[in-house]
Amino acid sequence: MIRLEGVTKEFDGGVIALSDINLELREGEVVVLKGVSGSGKSTILALIAGLSKPTQGRVIVDGKEVSKLPDHFCATFRRENVGIIFQRYNLIPDLSVSDNILLPLYPANMPKEILLERLEKELKAYHIEDKKDAVVKNLSGGQQQRVAIARANVNNPKIILADEPTANLDEKLSREFIEILKELKSQKRTIIVATHDPLFFELDFVDRFITIAHGKIVDDNT
Amino acid sequence: MITPEILTITILDILFFLFGSIGFVIAVKIVLFYDASATTHRQYTLEKQSYLSATIIKFLLLFKTLSFLFFIYTLNKLSNFLPGAMCAAGVVNALKIGTPLLLLKILNLYIFAFWIVLHNEDLEYEKQPYLKVKFLFYIFAYFLLLSEIVLELNYFYLLDSSSVVDCCGSIFSTTDGSYMAYLLSLDFSYQLGAFYLLFVVMVFFYLLKNRYLFALANLLFVIVSLITLISFFGTYIYELPTHHCPFCLLQSDYNYIGYFLYLFLFLGTFNGISLGLLAFEKERQKKKYISALIFNTLYLLCVSYFPLAYYIKNGMWL
Amino acid sequence: MTLFFLSSTISYELSQKVKNMPDITLTQMRAGREAFVKEAMVDAVLEIEGVTHAYTYIKAPYRFKDDTLFEVVGVDPFESFYDPFINTLLEQNTLESGSMLISKDVAEKLLKAYYTKDFNFITPSGELKNLKIAATFATEQKPQYRWLVLMSKEDAREVFALQADEATTLAVDVANKLEVPLVANKLQELYPNAKVVTKKEQQLTYENIFNFQSGTFLTLFSVTLMTFFIILYDKLSGVSSEEKREIGILKAIGWRIEDVLSAKFYEAFFIAVFAYLSGLVLAYLFVFYAKAPLLGNIFLHDILLRSEQFVLEPHIEFFYLFLVFLLVVPLYFAAVIIPSWRVATLDADEVMR
Repeated sequence: MIRLEGVTKEFDGGVIALSDINLELREGEVVVLKGVSGSGKSTILALIAGLSKPTQGRVIVDGKEVSKLPDHFCATFRRENVGIIFQRYNLIPDLSVSDNILLPLYPANMPKEILLERLEKELKAYHIEDKKDAVVKNLSGGQQQRVAIARANVNNPKIILADEPTANLDEKLSREFIEILKELKSQKRTIIVATHDPLFFELDFVDRFITIAHGKIVDDNT
Repeated sequence: MITPEILTITILDILFFLFGSIGFVIAVKIVLFYDASATTHRQYTLEKQSYLSATIIKFLLLFKTLSFLFFIYTLNKLSNFLPGAMCAAGVVNALKIGTPLLLLKILNLYIFAFWIVLHNEDLEYEKQPYLKVKFLFYIFAYFLLLSEIVLELNYFYLLDSSSVVDCCGSIFSTTDGSYMAYLLSLDFSYQLGAFYLLFVVMVFFYLLKNRYLFALANLLFVIVSLITLISFFGTYIYELPTHHCPFCLLQSDYNYIGYFLYLFLFLGTFNGISLGLLAFEKERQKKKYISALIFNTLYLLCVSYFPLAYYIKNGMWL
Repeated sequence: MTLFFLSSTISYELSQKVKNMPDITLTQMRAGREAFVKEAMVDAVLEIEGVTHAYTYIKAPYRFKDDTLFEVVGVDPFESFYDPFINTLLEQNTLESGSMLISKDVAEKLLKAYYTKDFNFITPSGELKNLKIAATFATEQKPQYRWLVLMSKEDAREVFALQADEATTLAVDVANKLEVPLVANKLQELYPNAKVVTKKEQQLTYENIFNFQSGTFLTLFSVTLMTFFIILYDKLSGVSSEEKREIGILKAIGWRIEDVLSAKFYEAFFIAVFAYLSGLVLAYLFVFYAKAPLLGNIFLHDILLRSEQFVLEPHIEFFYLFLVFLLVVPLYFAAVIIPSWRVATLDADEVMR
C-alpha cells in the first residue's frame, strides 16, 4: 500500500531529516511512529502525503509514485486518498464548522447535494451537529479536535495521517480520540500516527510500532 | 501626442513587458534545465516557477483582451482629433505600421489563447507531455508580444494630430489601386460562394472527424469571413452600398453588433484551429468540435440575417 | 477618476455649445480688435453657392453698475436664430421695438436698483436709452443664459451706439455640411480682413484649450499613480505568518496551487473592483455635489470662464470609466501576482512540523 524506497530528505540548510529509509506498510494497518520531536517522523508523514519531495529515493502510495508527481496531481491525490489530522488542529479559525469540514472538497467542484450529504454524515458521526454554524475559534479544544477529524475524514480517504494528535489534549480527550481511531480502523482505513504520547504505546489494536531516531528506523515490531 | 488614453496604453504595455519578461526568463530556464526525474533543489524551484509563468500568461491574456478593446476604443476616439478620420479605420491607416500592428494584435490574441489551451491540456496528464513544448511556444509568443509592444508605442508616439488621414470611405473604396480596392472590385458572388461553401466543407470535415482539414477550413473561414464582411455583409449592416468599413460596426449606431460578430468568429475559429494543432483527449476534442461549430454557425447566421432582412423589408438587394 | 469626470463633463458641455453654433461665424477685425460687420454683407454672402441662410446679430456685454456683465443679444425677432433657447424665447414672446426680454437673475439685479417695469441703459455717448421689460424668463440652470438680455437689433444698436447698418457678428448656414470649408474659403476671399470661423474649427479650439489643460493635469495624474503604487507595494510585500499557515493547511488537505491562486485572485478581484466602484462613487459625489473644490479651478481656466460659465451637469463617458478600470485593476493584479504565487507555492510540509 505504502512503500518508501531508500528515502533521504535533506532540508535547505543541509540538515538531514531522514536517511535511507526503507519501509512498507500494508492496507488497513494501524501504525504508530514513535520518536522524540525532530526525529523525522513528521517528515515521513509529509512525504507520504506528497507535501514534500525526497532528496533521494522513491515514495510509492497505492501504486502511484508520489515523489515524482507534479504538484497539480499530488494535490488531487491528497484530496482523493489522504486525510490529515494535525498537531494543533490546524483549522481556519474564522470559518464556520461546516466550512472547515468541507474545505478539502471545495476545489473539486462537487454538486451541492453531495457536499451537504457528506457534511451531514460527518457532523453526525462526531456529534457536532448543533455546532455546525459556529465559528471554529469559539469552540473548546475537544470540539475543535472533532472538527479536525471530521475534516480529515470527509473525503473518504484510504489513508489517515495523524501528527501528534493528542499533544494539545488532556487525558480524557486523548482517550476519546483513541476510540475514534479504533472506529476508523474498523472502516478499513490505513492509519499512521506519529506521536511520543505514551498512551498509544500500549494499545491492542495497533498493528505496528516503529521507532525513529535521528532520521533512521531503529526499531520495527509488529 | 500624449493623451490619457495613450498614457494608459503605455502603462499597460510596460506592465505586459515586465511580466512577459519574467515569464520569458522562467520559460528559458525550464526549456534548458527542466528534468522531471531530478530531485534537486533547482528542479523543485523550476516546478514552482512554472506555475508563476502560467499565471503570468493567463494574466497577460486577460488584460490583453481588455486592452485590445480599449485600443479599438482609443482609435475611434482619436478619429475625432485627426482631421479627415471618421472612425478607427482612418486612424489605423494614418501610419504605415497601423495595419501590421492591428493584425499582430489579433494574431497574438489567438496565440496567447492557444497557449492557455495547451497549458490546460498539459495539466491533464501526470507526465505533463507538453511541458517543454508549451514553454518553447511561449518563448516564440514572447517575441511576438515584444514586437507588438514596440510597434504599438512607436505607432502612438509617431501619430500626430496634424497628419491628414483618410476616412474609411476612401480606404475601403473600390476605385483606387490598393489591394483593398482589388478585393472589393471582384464580383462578390464568388466571395459569398466561397464563404458558404467553406462552411459546408467545414461541417463535412467534422463529420469525417478529420481534425487537420477541419482546422484548415477554420483558418480559411476567418479570412474569407473578414473579406466578405468588408465587401458584402458590412454594406447591409450599414444599409449603404458604399460603406465597407469593418470598424464602424463597433460603434453604438449599429448596436455594437461588431463586438458580437467578432467574438463569435474568434471563438468559433479559435476552437476549430486549435483542434488541428493539438491532439486532445476524446471528450475534450468533441467539446471543441461542437463549440467551433456552434460559434461559427452563430456568426454565419448573424451576418446572413442582415441582407435577408433587407431583402424582405425592401424587396430588393442593395 | 475625479479628473475624468470633470474633464468629460466639461468637454461635453463645450461640445454641446458648439453643436448649436452656426456653420460659419464671421467677425470683422480692425487694429487687432473685433470690429463691426455691415448689414450689406448679408446679400453678398447669400450670393455664394451653397449658403442657405445668412444673418447678422449683435452680441456684446453691457456693464451694469455693480460690475455684473449683462449679455445683450440683439436679434431680428422674425428671423430664426442659431441658439435654440433664444429661438424658443422669441417664439413664446413678442419682442417689440423698445422692449426687451430678461432673465430672472437680471430681473433681480434690476429690482435691487428699483427698476421693475423698465430700465435705462447708458449708451457710450452718455445718453440714456429706456427699454420696457416685456417678460422675464427662467434660465433652466443653464449658466450661459444667466445674464441674458434679449432685444431687437435696432435697440441693441442704440444701446451700444452702433451705426444703422452695423452688427457684431455674421452667421452663415450651409446646406451641405461637406461644403462648409469651401464656403469658408470663399468668405475669406471676399473679406480678406475678416475672421472666419467654422463650427469644426471652433470645436478644435475648445479641444485644444482643453488639451493644453491636459498637460497640467498629467502631472497630477502621475502623482496619483505613484501614490497608488507605493500603497500597493506596502500592502502586498508582507505576507503574515497566519496567512502562510492557512495556505499550508489548505494545500495539505488537497488544494492545488491553482486552487490557492484562483482563491487569491478572486480576493484581489473583489478588492480591486470594490476600490474601483467606491472611487467612482466618491468621485461622482465630489464633482457633481461638492462642485469639485480646488480641482475645478485647474480645469475651468480663465479663458473659458470669461466667456462661458458652467454648471457641471453630470455627463459620464463610459470610455473614461473603462480607462480608469484599466489603470486600476491590472495594476492591482500585477502587484498581487508574485506575492500570491509565493504563498501558493510555499512548502506545505511546514504545517507538519
